Amino acid sequence: MSNTKETMFIAKPKKLKRGWLIAMLFAAWVVLAKIFQGQATLVLAVPEDTGVTTWAGNVAASIRANRSDGASFKYFFNPIREFIDGFVTGIREIIAIPAGDSSIPLLGWLGVIAVIGFVVYAVSHLRMAIAAVILVFACGALGLWTDSMDTLAMTLAAVIMSLLIGIPVGIWAGLSDRALKAVTPILDLAQILPTLVYLAPLALFFLIGPASATIATMVYSIPIAVRLTAFGIRGVPVSPVEAGTSMGTTKIQLLRKIQLPMSSRTIILGINQTVMAALSFVVIAALIGAPGLGKPVIDALIIRDVGGGFVAGIAVVLIAIMLDRSTSAAISIDESFVPAPASARRRRKLGLVSAGVATIICIVLSRQLAWAAYFPEQVDISKPVSNVTESSIFWITENFEFLTTGLAKAVTVGILNPLEGVLSNSPWFLTVAMISLLSLILGGLRSAFITLTLLLAIVASGLWFDTMVTFTQTIVATILTMLIGVVVGVWIGRSTRAERALRPILDAGQTLPAFVYLIPMLGFFGPSRFTGIATGIVYSIPIVVKIVGQGIREVPTNMIEAAISTGSTKWQLITKVQLPAAKKSLLLATNQGLIFVLAVVVIGGLVGAGGLGYLVIVGGSKPELQGKGLIAGFSILLLGLMIDRIAQYTVARNSAPKH
Amino acid sequence: MSESNSAISVNNLWQVFGPNPEKIVGSPDAALPRAELREKTGNTAAVRDVSFEVAPGEVFVVMGLSGSGKSTLVRCLTRLIEPTSGSVVMNGEDVLKASDARLRELRRTKFSMVFQNFGLLPHRRVIDNIAFALEVNGVSKEARHARANEVIELVGLQGFAQAYPEQLSGGMQQRVGLARALAVDPDVMFLDEPFSALDPLIRRDMQAEVMRLHEELGKTMVFITHDLAEALRVGDRIAIMRDGAVVQMGTAEELIANPADDYVADFTRDVPKSHVLTVRTIARPLASNETASGRSIPATTIIRDATAAILDADGPVAVVEGNTTLGFITPRDFLLLVGGGSHG
Repeated sequence: MSNTKETMFIAKPKKLKRGWLIAMLFAAWVVLAKIFQGQATLVLAVPEDTGVTTWAGNVAASIRANRSDGASFKYFFNPIREFIDGFVTGIREIIAIPAGDSSIPLLGWLGVIAVIGFVVYAVSHLRMAIAAVILVFACGALGLWTDSMDTLAMTLAAVIMSLLIGIPVGIWAGLSDRALKAVTPILDLAQILPTLVYLAPLALFFLIGPASATIATMVYSIPIAVRLTAFGIRGVPVSPVEAGTSMGTTKIQLLRKIQLPMSSRTIILGINQTVMAALSFVVIAALIGAPGLGKPVIDALIIRDVGGGFVAGIAVVLIAIMLDRSTSAAISIDESFVPAPASARRRRKLGLVSAGVATIICIVLSRQLAWAAYFPEQVDISKPVSNVTESSIFWITENFEFLTTGLAKAVTVGILNPLEGVLSNSPWFLTVAMISLLSLILGGLRSAFITLTLLLAIVASGLWFDTMVTFTQTIVATILTMLIGVVVGVWIGRSTRAERALRPILDAGQTLPAFVYLIPMLGFFGPSRFTGIATGIVYSIPIVVKIVGQGIREVPTNMIEAAISTGSTKWQLITKVQLPAAKKSLLLATNQGLIFVLAVVVIGGLVGAGGLGYLVIVGGSKPELQGKGLIAGFSILLLGLMIDRIAQYTVARNSAPKH
Repeated sequence: MSESNSAISVNNLWQVFGPNPEKIVGSPDAALPRAELREKTGNTAAVRDVSFEVAPGEVFVVMGLSGSGKSTLVRCLTRLIEPTSGSVVMNGEDVLKASDARLRELRRTKFSMVFQNFGLLPHRRVIDNIAFALEVNGVSKEARHARANEVIELVGLQGFAQAYPEQLSGGMQQRVGLARALAVDPDVMFLDEPFSALDPLIRRDMQAEVMRLHEELGKTMVFITHDLAEALRVGDRIAIMRDGAVVQMGTAEELIANPADDYVADFTRDVPKSHVLTVRTIARPLASNETASGRSIPATTIIRDATAAILDADGPVAVVEGNTTLGFITPRDFLLLVGGGSHG
């Protein structure tokens, strides 16, 4: 307490000075950029290559040539691919694709729905099971039964393998400080790595198809399982662990009888998060050949078919809701360990047995009768849904032009273009110098050094201009995200009612795959840079709002009471007490916002946003541009690292107590 | 007291946190005050050169304020924290030298511990909490539940065997903690501030409960507390710790009558002396103008308990031990002591 007070007290005059420095820096930057406008911008046309990208293309080509004979492929990559491929195919054959010689999967649609209902009932309760059944049925009614089942199967396969690896590693990291130290940098890197970045490299080694899509999904979701499991184990209170040890438990007994049962809630939460991460990734992994709903979404985005994309997007959302609600319903709501009374347990046993019998009947029917095997084609609402979507989006764009194209134009002309003028349309050395200086002021010498190194690496890659295009879009989206996020965050931080009303929306927003947001944005704003930006904003607002809200909520009551008792107005209270006291949360929210925005803005490459994301995507589809695509992915990584480092050093500088 | 017949014998025990702790022990740095040591080497000496003996059946209290090292000390005795150096001998065996397997065996059968925050397992019923040490030792379910039911009776938890910890009050939860520690019928019980988390009235009940159990079962106990009143109530002997070292060790009367330094004196100042000291400590020779009343009281009587005998007499009362008279006490002496004025 005394520490923070001291810091705030001493930091005040320094902050003022820093603000002036930044303002002067910006002024100089704008003037210089104006003078040297258009010089040394390192623009590179799409088909053009540089030394680095040619080299990457050659490496990729030699890896491809090596696939059948090279030792590393024969004994390492190919066996892994075949194993995972077999596993994924096995699961797909149960629900999605024809199994063996049969013309249907092992389970027809009725059987699948019954099994889903039964499993959800077994881990949570009847109401949730009915909801799950309805949601899955609706996917079929959208005409996307097979794609939905493929997405479900891919998710399931990736989740099973992620948990098999992630939970043991997480337990290890929970028990051993050394293990935690070893995995933390990997987990941190995974958290800031935009999803688009590692699709292409993985496809290079594991071919395009379900196997590499699954591996990519695992790379994305394993860290989440590890982090939450370790967090759960470490969150077990000290005294039961000490008590167990003092009674002579072995390490295994301690884990099995005390640490695991007491952390089960967090571990199940980890499973929930792993499932949601896997689902959102499986959709994006359609770019490297994942079967399922991602494919119609991408196809629709490419041919700008908003209605069709919307239908597939809804199916993704329905599956997301189903998976999220049923896995989180498995976490009992209250903190109590006391089981239900005996009568309730007997009733439940009876319910489970009868549901089980019904499920078996459905399975048998679905393997015998055509109507229970093939999802009924008569039930197809995809056309009306698609039409209604298109006409309502048309209506909105017609009647609220100021909100759609008007807004897009305002942001593009008002912020995006001027910023591009400074960042990408001015000489590269000016931009490098200015960003490094900014990093120096914000984060100190080490921050500046790392920033400079990363920026020079980007220059060396030859994709400087495209990186700055992406960077500009990221900054614009982050600024807008923060403006909205802080306002809403302060609101929910101050009002419990608002928090309660918005929480479900925020939770839902956080679990949906970023891809899904692209579709309506494309409808509203057309193929443009702003569409990527708008998607980034919509995608990252929930996390920013949550962090800011929590920061505001955690400001000590005595601080607020002291301010009120000295006669502060509400506005003074917010600006002079709550926001400054929540400074650390604001910085953290900015950091998270930047990383989230970056991950989505690059996907905007699919809908005409240009920049690195576009290069990654064309690199994936055109062999002659593969080298460039790989380097573009690497540049996204460098950009992400730079943003994260500057943010981290700024946070560290602002929270370290000064002497 | 010789080492061979004491229940626990602790010799030159050190616990130093930080880099290269073993280098600190025995070096001149070890004598530095806490802050200076940390400044110089980055180490913290939580336990410094502690030695004591506990007799079988004795309740030995370790008392100190937070940060004095008492909790670290008790964890060193059971090796929840590995001490840096020294020895802890129980029944002739140096616990610090025990292998992991042997240590587990000792923990399962020879000593047990009661914790400040109870340390109950929230996902297990009371009876399974109590039987936990037996369970990890491989005792059959029937046998361990039978034993658990015995101790449930002993600590007054009848009817709660099937409850979960969260359904019990704090006091009841700590009864479960006590029962769990008793279930293995240990030679020694370690109680780490067992009642600090309870409110005062319940704390008093639980202290009485521990004393009752001690009388019934005669267990050797090492009792950690920061509460002097509690220490005086339950302890046969008390060690006062400060900055990791024991500053004084003795019976309640010894500590209060002859505090070793200002720290102990300061600590014990608010204790009503008449409740702790025996009449022996204020007996004095008869002055020339006084005449003995003819009445006498035994030297081991607590002053408070002698109130009537002293005030009712019409002159100085003799303090006797066997046939010898140690000195006399007048009503004036008594009132000066109780009233808090200086004696004599």
